[in-house]
Amino acid sequence: MSDPFSINGGSAVAMVGKDCIAIASDLRLGNQSLGVSNNFEKIFGFGDKCFLGLTGLATDVLTLKETFRFKTNLYKLREERSIEPETLANLVSSTLYERRFGPYFVSPIVAGLGHKDNKPFICGFDSIGCIDFAKDFIVSGTASDQLYGMCESLYEPDLEPEQLFETISQALLNAVDRDALSGWGAVVYIVTKDKVVKRVLKTRQD
Amino acid sequence: MNGIKVDINHLKKGEVNLGTSIMAVKFQDGVILGADSRTTTGSYIANRVTDKLTQIHDTIYCCRSGSAADTQAVADMVKYYLQIYAAQLPPNETPTTEIAANVFQEICYNNKDNLTAGIICAGYDKKNGGSVYSIPIGGSIHKQDYAIAGSGSTFIYGWCNENFKQGMQKDECVDFIKTALSEAIKWDGSSGGVIRMVILTEKGVERLIFYPDEYQK
Amino acid sequence: MAGLNFENYQRNSYLSTKGFATPRATSTGTTIVGCKFPGGVVIAADTRATSGPIVADKNCEKLHRLAPKIWCAGAGTAADTEMVTQLIASNLELHALSQNREPRVITALTMLKQHLFKYQGHLGAYLICAGVDPTGAHLLSVQAHGSTDIGKYQSLGSGSLAAMAVLETNFREDLTKEEAIKLCADAIEAGIWNDLGSGSNVDVCVMEVGKDAELYRNYLTPNVRSQKARSYKFAPGTTAILRESVRDILDVEETVVSFDQMEVDTEA
Repeated sequence: MSDPFSINGGSAVAMVGKDCIAIASDLRLGNQSLGVSNNFEKIFGFGDKCFLGLTGLATDVLTLKETFRFKTNLYKLREERSIEPETLANLVSSTLYERRFGPYFVSPIVAGLGHKDNKPFICGFDSIGCIDFAKDFIVSGTASDQLYGMCESLYEPDLEPEQLFETISQALLNAVDRDALSGWGAVVYIVTKDKVVKRVLKTRQD
Repeated sequence: MNGIKVDINHLKKGEVNLGTSIMAVKFQDGVILGADSRTTTGSYIANRVTDKLTQIHDTIYCCRSGSAADTQAVADMVKYYLQIYAAQLPPNETPTTEIAANVFQEICYNNKDNLTAGIICAGYDKKNGGSVYSIPIGGSIHKQDYAIAGSGSTFIYGWCNENFKQGMQKDECVDFIKTALSEAIKWDGSSGGVIRMVILTEKGVERLIFYPDEYQK
Repeated sequence: MAGLNFENYQRNSYLSTKGFATPRATSTGTTIVGCKFPGGVVIAADTRATSGPIVADKNCEKLHRLAPKIWCAGAGTAADTEMVTQLIASNLELHALSQNREPRVITALTMLKQHLFKYQGHLGAYLICAGVDPTGAHLLSVQAHGSTDIGKYQSLGSGSLAAMAVLETNFREDLTKEEAIKLCADAIEAGIWNDLGSGSNVDVCVMEVGKDAELYRNYLTPNVRSQKARSYKFAPGTTAILRESVRDILDVEETVVSFDQMEVDTEA
């Protein structure tokens, strides 16, 4: 049969710019080669400037989305503030490692700005919670190989928000065009200290 | 009892193995333990200067063969039990080798489905003098005048049987072990390195080491 | 909440009997080494993390702190080395606090080996553990199944053969601190060049008796990416947009207004 990570398909990517971050994903939900939905967002917000991208098995994506919504809501009640991206990263890590011997089939990515200092932060994880701290970009999903290639060549440090949007969009778009299991629309979040811009991209529909 | 299977040859994948040549021999003043120093993972020598002679109590030692992790864990347990036991003994009394060997046997037998451990327990105590116990895989116990174990031991069964003498002198016994182990090391690919010995007598512990230049004539 | 959860285990092993592949964890197909010198010990690691044939992280940290003066280098499953190391570091600090003593290397090692033995090799952590404590400088290694080794120089991971070749030829008992650092860095470099699972940079940690431990992150960087000859910046408007929504983030300012007397109706 096939790999649980690539039954439903989907990809996500995050990048660091100058005092900003961007996180993007495709919108496809499939069952093997059959497309099921073109409106399956894989990026979820936790607080104003903190985002979690989840690719992999859709059932686990939704389960974890709810788990983290629950956990971050409790965190907010206890701490009387929104969760920091670094804290969310450690929360994701320990939640995944708790299932060390029966993992969720997901590859999460976290991106955000620090709530006080607006310091950009991104990181990625494997399915059992090993954190990959990166200073430049993080990729995940069925088009991750293609995304690695796109990002390694397109990315450059200290891009302004609008430039970063073009770079991450082109990296994602061109990567998912070479992946049969990703595509069917895309969404990009550009996060700066005073606003979050969400853009739905015009993409191929095949 | 039906349906119980013991796969004595199984080692978990990538497990560190003591493909070993070990022995312990009684002599006039006590007992001498000997071992090679090779530890392997597959065909790679993970450690060429291993100490397979592990102290369990003041003058009780054991030789370990089989899985490094299993035998270390068992030895650590026995060492701990003997500390507790020794603390309850009257002053100036120490545990006997027999007690230590039986603790080894108990642990090896009760966990035989999960252990790959072939152990020789030997020591000196005032009551019995030197004594040697062999606890092979499966958890049985055998009191012997001398014991050999590990993959290299197969090559020296005949030689040891021919040349062992009751009540040897110290130097004679050291030579006996040195010759036996050097043959085991020569023929067994998973044994090698230096020959380590521990001499346990009334006087206490004496350690010896022999390098390949010396024992490979 | 505490501890591991095995709920998905049955589902996943059912899935694998139906022919679904099992997930691949990030592994640190690694070169790690350690070597002693009179008065101290040094450990070193490369910085490549891999997931199958893909380089997942080009500059990851494989040197973990167990205590301020006890560090360990990890090879094997990256999540396991990280988590097992964090757990033992936490327990070691609690132990040191309750005993009112500086933690010892042998204590860390015993805690590690007993934990790993309990999991019978299912936690894929291979560690070189080193440090200084009131009993001196120590260098030890632990394998995933829970066995330990002692030695004056050690190497572990997929590049351990290349590293051991360097250590075996150049190790001496009377190395100076600088020579020991050089030896470890050379051994890691042997792994970086000759082992496919190892790459990028060299991290080094030096622990000297009577001194604080020193971590040299990226001590050597023999694989710096060259400047790109051309920029791939896109003209604004290249990407076609269907919809846009903007969420402004406002700062909430709180000021405490103080007043002398609260108006309370005490009559009723």
